[in-house]
Amino acid sequence: MASASSETARLGPRWFDPLSRWAAKSWMFVLFFIGFFLFWEVSIDLFQVPRYILNKPSEILLASRADLPRLLEYTYVTGLEAIIGYVIAIAIAVPLGLAIAFSSILRRTIYPFFVSIEMTPKIAFAPLFISWLGFGLLPKVIIVFLVCFFPIVLNAILAFSSLPDELDRFCRSTGAHWARVFWKVRLPAAMPQCFVGFKYAALNATVGATIAEFIGSDQGLGFYIQISTGNMRPDLAFAGIFLLTLLGLLMFGLVTAAERLLIPWHISVRRNA
Amino acid sequence: MTAAVQLSNVSKTFGAGADAVHAFGPVDLAIEGGAFISLLGPSGCGKSTLMLMIAGLLAVSDGEIRVNGERVSKPRTDIGIMFQDNTLVPWRHVEGNIALQLELRGLDPKANQPKIDELLKSVRLEGFAHRMPHELSGGMQQRAAFCQALVHDPKTVLLDEPLGKLDAMTRESIRNDLQALWMQKRPTVVFVTHSIEEAVQLSSRVCVVTPRPGRIDRVIDIDLPWPRDLAVKRSARFANYVADIQGIFHGFGIL
Ligand SMILES: Nc1ncnc2c1ncn2[C@@H]1O[C@H](COP(=O)(O)OP(=O)(O)O)[C@@H](O)[C@H]1O
Ligand SMILES: [Mg+2]
Repeated sequence: MASASSETARLGPRWFDPLSRWAAKSWMFVLFFIGFFLFWEVSIDLFQVPRYILNKPSEILLASRADLPRLLEYTYVTGLEAIIGYVIAIAIAVPLGLAIAFSSILRRTIYPFFVSIEMTPKIAFAPLFISWLGFGLLPKVIIVFLVCFFPIVLNAILAFSSLPDELDRFCRSTGAHWARVFWKVRLPAAMPQCFVGFKYAALNATVGATIAEFIGSDQGLGFYIQISTGNMRPDLAFAGIFLLTLLGLLMFGLVTAAERLLIPWHISVRRNA
Repeated sequence: MTAAVQLSNVSKTFGAGADAVHAFGPVDLAIEGGAFISLLGPSGCGKSTLMLMIAGLLAVSDGEIRVNGERVSKPRTDIGIMFQDNTLVPWRHVEGNIALQLELRGLDPKANQPKIDELLKSVRLEGFAHRMPHELSGGMQQRAAFCQALVHDPKTVLLDEPLGKLDAMTRESIRNDLQALWMQKRPTVVFVTHSIEEAVQLSSRVCVVTPRPGRIDRVIDIDLPWPRDLAVKRSARFANYVADIQGIFHGFGIL
């Protein structure tokens, strides 16, 4: 491999390489990011914003530190709802997508049904599920499942039904059994498009969990944000928002890492394109 | 004597009723074993359609095709096939892609390692066995695809414009390697091309196909010495073949 270290002179220890490359690419963004928070920090005093409307970032940090145990506990609650719903969605949507891609009956029945459901905002069902199933974990998991399921299943259908003609013919000309063609060609070929769905759904998962908690719950970050806002504590609400952002980033990062691990060839193809 | 590939009154119509497209034929043709046949014809005349029908990947509408005396009714597994868009998969390196052909057939790639190495060498890809397809140039990808199509020692090889997307210099270079491979293994080759020169250089016979619906207008035996190296390509007889075929296409109103 001709790595970047042979192209650019190494300035520090090996771990420094990717870091310095990232810095070279992203310094403008980092500056903007820091500038944004500095502006926020000074504007509160400058425009004399009342604290029940908005706090300074530094005050948000202090408040989060004071309430850290509860914030962490609620992050765990919301994270659990999001991850369970997400994993169940993958476990059901991928095999179902595969079945729909290969069954002409399912393609003409369930598939159009799914496409039309995709048009309705799933989150609109949330109050119903809460009223049917109460305040516990289950209704939240179901709502997360709903907002994750459709992007995964629709991308999986696309993934499994778009093998290039040439590749399909090549496989048929070998006389290989269906299962062997599936493991060696169809499944790996479908992975990139499946991951489009996984990544999209990972972003939906925390949104689903948060809104479900808004509607009815007694714990979790969505609940925390709602209560804090009601108590005119925007500092605590922002602390919750910050942790939700971290949770979303963590889930998206895990899926991206899985993508790198499972289909590294796709990443490098994409980068070269 | 049975021909390696025998076409009897073969034709293909896509669709039915008012929308039907008569794509190819009817055509009769006998291809003897070990021949290198080129199908030379304008775009859309049904060459790819014919290749798929010979491979058993597409049903004939009329007539019948026999390969080594056997009527073609399902995908044939004793052929090697290669298309304009190669069938290298992006998640396997060159050697793994060649092994894929063997693995799909339930053969052990390890036992065939010497053959893989030899094939790679014959197309000058030794040293690139562990490169991923996207790390190769278009020409190198097609070279790798040749190895993938040939590794199971098919008696019949179908090549559908395998050089179609390459630049002229790369084409020229791969042609020579392809010819050497054919002379060494002597499979029956059906080769589709748009290039008259390419057809004359590589083939024992050139079939001139008319515009759609494609029919074989002329079959021209190319009586030139092998290998068709630079000296042969510069000869007057080579130029005559090319000029004759150009004349035929001129007659179709194409050139
Ligand atoms: N699956 C199909 N359905 C309908 N028409 C087709 C199909 N495949 C090919 N054709 C038509 O048949 C004709 C021959 O196509 P093809 O064999 O690809 O030509 P060539 O390879 O000589 O360029 C074209 O006019 C094409 O539009
Ligand atoms: Mg074609």
